[in-house]
Amino acid sequence: MKNWFKSGAPWIWINASAVSINLLAVFGLLALIAVRGLGYFWPGDVAVLEYKTKQGQVQKLIGEFWETEQVKAEVLRSNGFDIPNDMLQVTRHVLKVGNRDAYGADFQVILQANILKQEYPKDVLVVVRREWGNLYGYLQTISQAGQTVTTRPQQAWQEFAPRMRRAIDLYDAIKQIEKKQLGTINAKLEKIRLQSRRDELEQRMTADKQHAYDEQRGRLEQERAGFESRLSELHEQINRDSFSVTIQDGRSLTIPFSKVVKAYRPNELGVLDKLGMYLANVWEFISDDPREANTEGGVFPAIFGTVMMVLIMAILVTPLGVIAAVYLREYAKQGALTRTIRIAVNNLAGVPSIVYGVFGLGFFVYIVGGNIDRWLFPEAAPAPVFGTPGILWSSLTLAILTLPVVIVATEEGLSRIPRSIREGSLALGATKFETLWRTVIPMASPAIMTGLILAVARAAGEVAPLMLVGVVKLAPSLPLDTTAPFLHLDRKFMHLGFHIYDVGFQSPNVEAARPLVYATSLLLVVVILFLNLAAIRIRNHLREKYRALEG
Amino acid sequence: MKKADIGHHISQKYNQELEDVRNKVLHMGGLVEQQLADAVLALTTMDGALAEVVITNDYKINRLEVEIDDECIHILARRQPAAGDLRLLMAIIKTITDLERIGDEAERVGRMALRFIEGETTKDTKPLLGIGYFGDHVRRSLHAALDAFARMDVYAATQTAKEDIKIDQEYEGILRQLMTYMMEDPRSIPRVIGVMWSARALERIGDRARNICEYVIYLVGGKDVRHISLEQVEAEVRASHRDEKKPS
Amino acid sequence: MTTIATDTPRTHGMDINSLQRDFGATRLEQEKIALQVENLNLFYAKTQALYNVNMVIPRHRVTAFIGPSGCGKSTLLRCFNRMNDLVDGCRIDGMIKLGGEDIYHKRVNVAALRSRVGMVFQKPNPFPKSIYENVAYGLRTQGVNDRRRLDEAVEKALRSAALWDEAKDRLHENALGLSGGQQQRLVIARAVAIEPEVLLLDEPASALDPISTLKIEELIYELKENYTLIIVTHNMQQAARVSDYTAFMYLGKLIEFADTNTLFTNPAMKQTEDYITGRYG
Repeated sequence: MKNWFKSGAPWIWINASAVSINLLAVFGLLALIAVRGLGYFWPGDVAVLEYKTKQGQVQKLIGEFWETEQVKAEVLRSNGFDIPNDMLQVTRHVLKVGNRDAYGADFQVILQANILKQEYPKDVLVVVRREWGNLYGYLQTISQAGQTVTTRPQQAWQEFAPRMRRAIDLYDAIKQIEKKQLGTINAKLEKIRLQSRRDELEQRMTADKQHAYDEQRGRLEQERAGFESRLSELHEQINRDSFSVTIQDGRSLTIPFSKVVKAYRPNELGVLDKLGMYLANVWEFISDDPREANTEGGVFPAIFGTVMMVLIMAILVTPLGVIAAVYLREYAKQGALTRTIRIAVNNLAGVPSIVYGVFGLGFFVYIVGGNIDRWLFPEAAPAPVFGTPGILWSSLTLAILTLPVVIVATEEGLSRIPRSIREGSLALGATKFETLWRTVIPMASPAIMTGLILAVARAAGEVAPLMLVGVVKLAPSLPLDTTAPFLHLDRKFMHLGFHIYDVGFQSPNVEAARPLVYATSLLLVVVILFLNLAAIRIRNHLREKYRALEG
Repeated sequence: MKKADIGHHISQKYNQELEDVRNKVLHMGGLVEQQLADAVLALTTMDGALAEVVITNDYKINRLEVEIDDECIHILARRQPAAGDLRLLMAIIKTITDLERIGDEAERVGRMALRFIEGETTKDTKPLLGIGYFGDHVRRSLHAALDAFARMDVYAATQTAKEDIKIDQEYEGILRQLMTYMMEDPRSIPRVIGVMWSARALERIGDRARNICEYVIYLVGGKDVRHISLEQVEAEVRASHRDEKKPS
Repeated sequence: MTTIATDTPRTHGMDINSLQRDFGATRLEQEKIALQVENLNLFYAKTQALYNVNMVIPRHRVTAFIGPSGCGKSTLLRCFNRMNDLVDGCRIDGMIKLGGEDIYHKRVNVAALRSRVGMVFQKPNPFPKSIYENVAYGLRTQGVNDRRRLDEAVEKALRSAALWDEAKDRLHENALGLSGGQQQRLVIARAVAIEPEVLLLDEPASALDPISTLKIEELIYELKENYTLIIVTHNMQQAARVSDYTAFMYLGKLIEFADTNTLFTNPAMKQTEDYITGRYG
């Protein structure tokens, strides 16, 4: 035994166990998020149940099994359930019955023991709506412009698909006009308003100018009126069709096609169809705008905002950090002062991030942004342009937050460049700046990239400070679009981290949104992973290019 | 370069090697000196047996020369000596060449002695009168040169080099004397010529002894004093004494 | 047949002064001067590293500095292109004249000085760039960007560093792919490309194998036609092989400076002798 200890084998075992625990932690985390999150997109079968309620009545239920758990029978008994005495544990399901508009709640808790009959009829329809969540029921009739087209369910289902497609096409056309054309016109109008306001403020307004502005405004108004009439036309068209559905309690609901995202009969679908739908759902999640207070639809604006914010942050923090590090390491006389600065920089990394948020709000938004508004955008007052939280301030705040990481990594990299390389360059008649610029910094670039990777990882996961300086629950438009100047640094943006918080804890229907929280978390991890992989690729490329002399 | 310096290398083995080769040179010198003394004795006392010994013993000198040469080559190849060490090795290599030649000359004297003894009918030893003294002078000169080498004594070397002038003068005297014999008695000419060759050999030995002295001067002071007049040699030696390795 | 042995015939009528003793040797007094060191003292913070060095570096010759570690030979070498400026607390007293001008004068542009006095270091230190860019580095620093001129200069420099044949097909490959000896020759080419007047070599072959070392030495021999070379080396045989003049330094002092033949056969100072023959003093 003593020999075994002396041989060093235990030490190896301890090391190996530590590594395994780490691996387990990482993979466990990923696996949990992945399983919980990815299951959300699977189109589950819809069960039709005959269920005995607490009061002893038999009720018909239509819905998806959402969760299943074991509950102590005692607890339920004390809640007035009639449970046979020989049962200690009862299986309890949460059934997603949807139809929030009809029942007020999406979910119903049922006991396995009370299910009298369970079947999966092929003609159960799931309707994903733009409002009020999912609807489960049987398709009854289809009407066109108030006239019933068919009342036979089978025929109605055949009629359903083409009308659905038509409605979606119309919906896309409406969105297109609203977002693009009308958006552009509104932006132009706003620009004219600001211009004329500016002229007024600077007292340069003349009758000619006023006239020109009015003329432009008139033209745009006219254009807008054209689009608006086209819109109302489209609205009329889209509202032409509607269908009625019988829900579990026998009521019939009439739903216009315009309110539907998609509808399908899950029990009819094969595995391959479901897989296709699954992928379509995932894609929708990644590429669509959110609906229903973020609890449904996609998270594209959040992904976009996260990546955008991180990229701007990287662009801001890299030069700042590198220049600071170069000064500290190469130019400053090493002494008590530089040591103090280094300690300060290292300590900055330990400051809680919310403090940075407060700083960003107080300094960037109110002081810097406020002054920018006062000097550059007086015409917009009282509406703030930069004097309000926005993506620029978020990026700047995170840049300050991640600055220590970049500085420390860059300094580390600079200190690892062999003296002989600097001397070689200096001995060729290069000045110190030329040596730094042409040789030392390129050679330190892998280390700079490492710093940037760490900074990106930290910034992408940071939420708290962003809530103060620019993130919002729902941003009306992306910070990058097709209207000049294309990059709108003053806009607020959505962020995956905040999205998780919002959906998970602030939404009206927390229970329904939980899988979405996992899915979004997984997405956040994937986005960060992707950003890191990209940076690591660049770093490895640089490493290969500037591989150290020791090799 | 002083004699004591040889032993001051950081590498003890190097010290050992240099000391070894130097000792061999001194051993060779002793052998050569002995050969010379024996040859002269054999000639003057007409001792045929001794002359034979001298002739057969020459191989020892030759063997030593080869041996020392070999060691020097090895040291050169492996140690790449510089400065004093390099001069020591150069001096040794040259000295042993001269010593070997001296050995050859001694052998020649031995052969002349044999011939003189064989051709002897008249028991006339008159031609040998001067040779004994001359041979002794040359032997002392060689001894002094070897001594100067052993002690690395520049002063002694200079003095010994000067001795060569006297040897040359003596040689001239002996030549005149022998010529007188030949003129007196033409029949003795073959024998006298043999003696003359011996004298010449001895004179050459004197020259070689002087060479050795010059090597010593080069070895110690780093001054090449070959082919210059003795006055200049003395001046050089004095100069090299003056700026003898300042310890600064 | 009779030789009258007097003293005169042995000298063949020549006296010592007309007799050429140091065959092929050079004489310091007859050389042109490239660098002149006058009363140079150098201090690192409080310790003095060089004591009152006075010497003349002859033009278009190879001068070697030898001496034990820490004797100040590298320090002295680094004075010639003011590399010591990079060391904190380094102070210099006295003068070094390059072409008659004091290089420590405060108006001297150090970068310009360094392009006149090139340097090659102990370990080959090519930049992690292509061979071409390494050689062109100095020229680009001087603002030369004309492709044709660069091409010519690179070829010339590589040729003069005897690297052209080995490198011409891989000019745009990373210089770090070259062997140690090739790298060192590349570094020499890099220094030669800006055509300095003086080339300082700080133990240029100490990290190389014997064959590469010989190539570098051969190169040094060829370079001396156009450049003044100063080489610091720990390898006395190397100093003896490549240099025309040798300076022996000890404890920050210049002990002896003489032509290499003399220094290695008959040094004037006991310390020199002890050092080059491997003795303890």
